[in-house]
Amino acid sequence: MRFLGLTYLGAILAFLYLPIAIMMLMAFNQSPLYELPFTFDLVWFKALAGNERLLTAGWNSVWIALVSSAIATSIGTVAALGLARNEFTGKRFLQLMLFPPITIPWLIIGTAMLIFFFWTGVGRGLHAILLGHVALSLPYVIVVVGARLATHGPELEEAAASLGARPAQAFFRVTVPLLAPGIVAAGMFAFAVSFDQFIISYFLAAPGTSTLPVEIFTAIRKGFTPEINAISSIVIIISMSLVLVVSRFYRFGGER
Amino acid sequence: MPGAEKHLRVTFLVAPAYLWLALTVFLPLAVMLFFSFLTAVPVGGREATLTLQHYVSFFTKKIYWYNALRSLELAAYVTLACVVLGYPVAVILTRMITGRAREAIFLMIILPFWTNALVRTFSWTMVLRGPFDIIFTYPAIVIGLVHAYLPYAVLTIYVSLQAIDERLIEAARALGASKRQAFMRVMLPLSLPGVLAGVFLIFIPVTGSFMEPRILGGKDAIMLGPIIESQFTATFNWPLGAALSFMMLAIILLMLALGYPLLQRHMER
Amino acid sequence: MKMTINRRSALAMLGSAPLLGAMPRLARAAGEIKVLNWQGYGTDEKWATEAFEKATGIKVVHDYFNSEQEMLTKLRTSPGAYDVVLINNIYVMDAAKEGLIQPLDTAKLSNFGDLAPALRDSDRFVQDGKHYASAWVWGLTSFAYNFEKITDKIDTIEALWNPAYAGKVGMRDDAMEAIQFGALATGQDINNPADMAKIKDKLMALKPQLKTFWSSEDEWNKLFAAGDYLVAVYWSGSASRSRKAMKLPVQFVVPKEGAIGWFDGLAVAANAPNPDGALAFINYMIDPSFYIPWDTNVGAPASANLKAMAGLPEDALNRAVLGDAEVVKRVQWMAPVTDQQRQAQQELWDEVKTSFAQ
Repeated sequence: MRFLGLTYLGAILAFLYLPIAIMMLMAFNQSPLYELPFTFDLVWFKALAGNERLLTAGWNSVWIALVSSAIATSIGTVAALGLARNEFTGKRFLQLMLFPPITIPWLIIGTAMLIFFFWTGVGRGLHAILLGHVALSLPYVIVVVGARLATHGPELEEAAASLGARPAQAFFRVTVPLLAPGIVAAGMFAFAVSFDQFIISYFLAAPGTSTLPVEIFTAIRKGFTPEINAISSIVIIISMSLVLVVSRFYRFGGER
Repeated sequence: MPGAEKHLRVTFLVAPAYLWLALTVFLPLAVMLFFSFLTAVPVGGREATLTLQHYVSFFTKKIYWYNALRSLELAAYVTLACVVLGYPVAVILTRMITGRAREAIFLMIILPFWTNALVRTFSWTMVLRGPFDIIFTYPAIVIGLVHAYLPYAVLTIYVSLQAIDERLIEAARALGASKRQAFMRVMLPLSLPGVLAGVFLIFIPVTGSFMEPRILGGKDAIMLGPIIESQFTATFNWPLGAALSFMMLAIILLMLALGYPLLQRHMER
Repeated sequence: MKMTINRRSALAMLGSAPLLGAMPRLARAAGEIKVLNWQGYGTDEKWATEAFEKATGIKVVHDYFNSEQEMLTKLRTSPGAYDVVLINNIYVMDAAKEGLIQPLDTAKLSNFGDLAPALRDSDRFVQDGKHYASAWVWGLTSFAYNFEKITDKIDTIEALWNPAYAGKVGMRDDAMEAIQFGALATGQDINNPADMAKIKDKLMALKPQLKTFWSSEDEWNKLFAAGDYLVAVYWSGSASRSRKAMKLPVQFVVPKEGAIGWFDGLAVAANAPNPDGALAFINYMIDPSFYIPWDTNVGAPASANLKAMAGLPEDALNRAVLGDAEVVKRVQWMAPVTDQQRQAQQELWDEVKTSFAQ
């Protein structure tokens, strides 16, 4: 049984990593048209080093994702708590309101934001992108944390309360540790949503500045050279290392 | 006054998130909603009058309702595949693997999340072209989307499963339940919130997807997503594009409204 | 003895030569200009912007669009954000009417007189005696084929429907273009086809032919190189680039049924922060010192500047094909369409695409 399980896991991982492996392979391939046979060459990494526009865009993406996921995770978790532990009029409505940001194609939301920000003087730029990214990540955070809360139920907190804990104590010493994996998962979602987001970023970017996905999106028009693969490979290696480092200090997998 | 105090607390908790959403998403969308009832965008000397024609055309023009169904069908396939493939992964992670290994594998599953979706999709074109040659077909779209959304399912289900107390399962087994019964009557219902979260986060975005269909689907790519998109990029018909999007939203909400009572009963057991 | 001047510096020198002599007013126009264009469409050629900056002190910053509607949206929602805008001729008058672009002070364009009058003074650009855009380049939309794999000479648009090439044909996912091709293939006026039903049937007949749609030159190149396309719809300027820069065996064809002609203009946005800089840049763009290296080394559509065209080598595609009067006679020029027409085109095309998926 265990063998079957592990084989299955391996197969899924292979599926998940197949295109990524190809993507990284092509970063080291000489052909600008992604043609085989494979000839090893670092030309794209060298080109990347000189590509200021792409590098700045990459950096913008990273810090925007960090900031927006931090904001989204905090206010989203708090909102999820408000929704989960209480019954009140309008709760169903608030839950329903999580649908539009995820359902309506981002192209529409992007255009709508562009117009609205234009009318209200917010304009385009990195600040506008940040506003948009937090908004898009919020439903994900609220849903993921909410799912965790639903599975848990308020019993442990009630037990703590009956044992004399004040609400703040119960919160920090019972709820938060229980929620932690959910919060971390939500944070990862939020980071991924922001980091990968190109439609909204595309609309809200000011002329001349942009984020990595936008650069990739517009580069597809002109010349999708493996420089893109090079920077994507770098990103994935850095993410992997970061996550490994962080996991030394915090266990995502939970207690066991 | 416990009632008022509770209200205050709830407001305080949900306000930041919802205020943010209101200002950055709901208000802009409200403007779009208004546009969807106009004949044209009131710009550049165009006359705009109120109309329901765009909403009506959703039902009368085949290109809209047929492709809406296609999008829903695609979303159903992808969601089903993600949940069916992802659930065992989450179970294996929580039941068979422990400690550092579990973390490592969990992270490996999540990592593809952080590659750029466009680059990933283009990489798929290379894989699917290779020995398989199913590029530019409907199955290619499904594969690309399942690949993109599978981590969502694993993540949400895992988070839920991981919260289930081991002892509940043990107790059930001790009371004589078979492995299958323990699964069906203890694990599955308790993990349902996670499954539903996954379904929510996968089904809905997939209905509106247009990147993967366009890149992987070739001439089978037509879905509602691309059609909506072309109202913004090819014709200057935002009202129609907006109306079509809101119709999709309405359909999804309708599906939820119909399905929810069923789920309620299932979850309460 | 070989001089070690590399190609880049040579181009830069070529590019800056006329500017050094031409514009005494440039000192005032220094600073920066923002250009809005397709990516990779001439104005962002690195050697050109560097030469321009060197000669005038003006830095060139680019923003891009992926569709003409997007270009208009950007103009509408970002007043004062752009100086130079590339606009296809069929949109210029609409943009002018909406107040998105300003009339050009053609006195500041020293090369203006060298532009082909038919393009320069076209009523697509001129209203009330004022020019709202400077004619820049023009080209044809037709198709190209792989001359290494197809040895017969192709001269008819029916090649796209030839069963011998089933599953190897490419088209762009663009309603207007598709219908124009359908019109050419059914012998109709591309701007006012009388029989849309016939066009629809013709397009639906493409189902077994199409491999997939392309949406950018780069995608076209990749599909062509991979052997997915043997015959595909393409633009003349891009065909020139694919052949020259990408070294692909591309043969561009203007069949006996004709081809679609288009021309682009460079305009100055209303509320442009640096209109003098914008005009200086436009003048450089229509100058032979920019155009000739651009077409020769990179590949480009045809220039509206007659002197620039005359300066091309004899065998350049732009001279050989587009300079051929017989060919030009077969060209039908794209005309502006109303919102309603555009909507009708889009619906027809969506119906055709839906039939492909069934």
